[in-house]
Amino acid sequence: MTTIQYLVGLMIIATLITGILFILFGQITVRKLRKNPETKEQLGVEFASGWDVLNVAAALSRPKWLSEKYKKSKLSGLAANSDVLYQSTTLFDRILARVFWFLYVFLGAAMILILILNWCGVFG
Amino acid sequence: MSEILLCSQSLNSEALQRQCGINTDQLSALSCEAPILAAANTPYLIGDDPSGIGRGVLGQLAPAHVARELTNLSLSYGGDNVVALAEISAKLKEYNIGLMGASTSVYANRMGGFAGSVKDYQAALMEYRQAVKTASPQKAAAKQKAHTAFQKMQSQFRNELKLVNSQVKARRGTPLTSVERATNIARSSRTATKLNVTSQVQANNLVKFSQHAKFLGNGLAVIDFGGRIGSVHNSFQAGGNWERDMFIESSSFAASAVAGSIAVKAGLGLLIVATPAGWVGLIVGGLAVAGTAAAASIGMNSVVKKNSGAVYDSVMKWISGV
Repeated sequence: MTTIQYLVGLMIIATLITGILFILFGQITVRKLRKNPETKEQLGVEFASGWDVLNVAAALSRPKWLSEKYKKSKLSGLAANSDVLYQSTTLFDRILARVFWFLYVFLGAAMILILILNWCGVFG
Repeated sequence: MSEILLCSQSLNSEALQRQCGINTDQLSALSCEAPILAAANTPYLIGDDPSGIGRGVLGQLAPAHVARELTNLSLSYGGDNVVALAEISAKLKEYNIGLMGASTSVYANRMGGFAGSVKDYQAALMEYRQAVKTASPQKAAAKQKAHTAFQKMQSQFRNELKLVNSQVKARRGTPLTSVERATNIARSSRTATKLNVTSQVQANNLVKFSQHAKFLGNGLAVIDFGGRIGSVHNSFQAGGNWERDMFIESSSFAASAVAGSIAVKAGLGLLIVATPAGWVGLIVGGLAVAGTAAAASIGMNSVVKKNSGAVYDSVMKWISGV
């Protein structure tokens, strides 16, 4: 197998794991938040069905300073409100959120990096 | 490869010999082995068909509404280009992965706009062809209209066109890259044309292309997913390795959704922090995000599609070795 085929293989495995975590986090945490009247309206804009899962995971994984910065923005309504979410989630929810979110971000970033390298002709 | 003949009016063997240099003995149709003339809007297979692919292709193209549309399109665009355009429109559907992963309203509008501008251009070309055929005095105006539609499409959707066209290798360019090529094809007044179809999948693309209005609208992601299932189903029917195709289709779909959505997520994050000045900045920023997401998801789709077959093969080999 060539390098790119190995990378694609790894990406497929990582995509599968990310997909499973996405479903788990969506069903365990976000489902609960969607039903909660306090948090229902705070999950950010849902561009596609299931997009709020990404918003919540991002809000729970964001460093504090970035959340502060988001709050000042006129577009803060696009993202989920991390203050409210922290109050309505357990430690387990946050761990699940971070495991999913960082796997998702690393996978996505790796994919885009591989794409750029591929466009530059690194893989022949 | 199968060569398919299409005529817009019935040709007897002499006319056929004169126009295309083809003898009726070489033809075969779905319903009859040795036709004495080539009927209008009916696909004929030219030459032998040892592999049997040709008959399958004929069967797909034979329904009257498909054959009629395809004949008109082929005469308007030229046989090679219709095959190329059908591939393009199949590619267009892959944009919908972008839509799935990055279904921002900005992006949906943009894709709707792109498909719409291709359609306008196509309509202008058809109108020009009609004007040429009837020797109407509006010929020059119709040609001008096609040029304007082409310019509009080029200036607004440069990136999309580049991605779409990079998939097609036509020597003299396709109507999407060259308006000269397009109007030349539209002007020529032949009544018969040949299509070179290499596979059932390509024939399937042609059928879908002849009903191209369907690729517009809001159910894009659904149609695309249908398309993927269709290609697995095709392979199943053709006795191919459909498990392998299913692996390829589903893994490329998932990977491109991740790549597209992460691009949108990152782009929107930047937008929130950057707080663009006014709605102009927001629209420009949104378009940049959507464009990047489209590029990412389409790119990922093609990389995974190209390589996941080999991944599947080695996994299967490893399993059978254990």
